[in-house]
Amino acid sequence: MLILENLDVYYGEARALANVSLTLGDGEIACVIGPNGAGKTTLVNALARLLPVRAGRIRLGGEDITHLTPQELADRGLALIPEGRRLFTTMTVEENLELGCYRPAARAHRAQGLEGIYAMFPILRERRWQIAGTLSGGQQQMVAIGRALMARPKLLLIDEPSLGLAPVVITQVFETIKAIHASGVSILLIEQNAAKALSVSQRAYVLDCGAIVAQGSPEELRQSREINAAYLGAGA
Amino acid sequence: MSVTLLGQSILSGIFSGSLYALLGLGLTLSWRYLKIINLAHFAFIFLAAYLTYQLAGPGGLPPLLVIALVAPLFFVMGYAQQAFLEHFKVDEFASIIITFGMTILAETFIQWIWSADFVRLETHFLRGSWELGPFFLPKQEMLMSAAALALCLVTAAFLRFTWIGKALRAGLDNPQIAASFGVPNKKLSLLIAGIAGALAGVGGAFMALLFTLAPSQIYSWFGVVLAAVLLGRVGSATGVFAAGLLIGVSEAITMAVTAPAWAPLAPFTLLILILVFWPERV
Ligand SMILES: Nc1ncnc2c1ncn2[C@@H]1O[C@H](COP(=O)(O)OP(=O)(O)OP(=O)(O)O)[C@@H](O)[C@H]1O
Ligand SMILES: [Mg+2]
Repeated sequence: MLILENLDVYYGEARALANVSLTLGDGEIACVIGPNGAGKTTLVNALARLLPVRAGRIRLGGEDITHLTPQELADRGLALIPEGRRLFTTMTVEENLELGCYRPAARAHRAQGLEGIYAMFPILRERRWQIAGTLSGGQQQMVAIGRALMARPKLLLIDEPSLGLAPVVITQVFETIKAIHASGVSILLIEQNAAKALSVSQRAYVLDCGAIVAQGSPEELRQSREINAAYLGAGA
Repeated sequence: MSVTLLGQSILSGIFSGSLYALLGLGLTLSWRYLKIINLAHFAFIFLAAYLTYQLAGPGGLPPLLVIALVAPLFFVMGYAQQAFLEHFKVDEFASIIITFGMTILAETFIQWIWSADFVRLETHFLRGSWELGPFFLPKQEMLMSAAALALCLVTAAFLRFTWIGKALRAGLDNPQIAASFGVPNKKLSLLIAGIAGALAGVGGAFMALLFTLAPSQIYSWFGVVLAAVLLGRVGSATGVFAAGLLIGVSEAITMAVTAPAWAPLAPFTLLILILVFWPERV
């Protein structure tokens, strides 16, 4: 599905990602874990083509997408649940969801999509006319998830979905991610909460200082003493 | 003062207010959605007015046909102007200077073609007034006001309910995320610039119908139209209409109870008070 080959990404002259390679199989869910400032969000934004790639290649379903526009990526079935939700905060909940299926090809599924999202998150149906910026953090995360699902993605990039949420809500969010994966969507999950991320993933990468420092199945990572000590910490 | 006189003043205030709204509508759109304070909007209005004068006066075409020609022509002008500004990555403040420069160029151009003297479109189209009890309702003004109201309402509905309107608002809110859901921000900017241009065209055509034209008058519209845009909250199509009416009517009443020279007093006092006490409107 998704193959990254030797990706380099810079902010000005500062290198944020160095030689990052990773692979996500069709229908797979993989996670990228790593400490603050490791470059996780940079990786997501480079993948979504919101940041320029200095060197390396990104392939999606066999096609080289390194230099496509964000809009073209949307057409190829990629959707994003960005760090900090980044909702359209001045628009209503329903408008946010609708924007998810903005692409002409996806618009036909608008009504059906909304029904699906409201069934998944009944609170959003009650709040459908509310301005998204006024929702609680957990509800905003639901809108961000819903907006991405409205696009009917083949590949979903999720950046720190647990950020700033209460533990109960985090559990709910991870249940939702599992359900989305079970419905056949390939997912690349970015998380600082390593324990949670590993618990839902089939494959994991550890990113630190802009480089992949370890990779393997969640089991393998948990068993590695250095990884455990350095990245999984007390939470594991 | 008699009630009839006051009533007629209010009516004339509604007519001038509608024109302020019609002229401000494109401006408020480009200010909010393109972050361009497009003073050249006034140049477009005057170019359209002179073109209307030429085609409907000496040219002898029916005014409604002229409007139908001028609107798409100025759509293209607005589109081209935006493509130019985007190419040079002009920001909000630089846009004031650059578009002011464009306005001066347009004024010179108009003087060159049509001279600095007054011109007046003579037409039989909708001459005269309807009478409603003691009040006179001039037909041309009525048509212009109806067009202004209709365009403001259609624009508001367009922004609120259509896919393009939602995409525009999303792009304003968060351009990158909007892009990653497929919103073509650049194309939409050009579209809005074209619509603003077309609205300037329509406004200019009505100006030719209602007013004697002179190139130097371009600048006399800045204050009152920008006031309507600000007062109505930048970007709001219904707001600019309501604010236009408020300004027009308060001007007319001030004029009726004092003297014509005092006309700007009420609207600009209002504007300054609102900007001072309610600055988040801008
Ligand atoms: N816009 C930017 N300009 C310059 N440097 C940036 C920018 N955004 C991020 N960086 C730097 O790039 C590095 C990686 O940042 P990034 O946001 O990708 O980390 P992260 O792993 O997502 O961290 P977090 O867990 O806090 O979300 C950091 O050193 C950060 O300071
Ligand atoms: Mg991050």
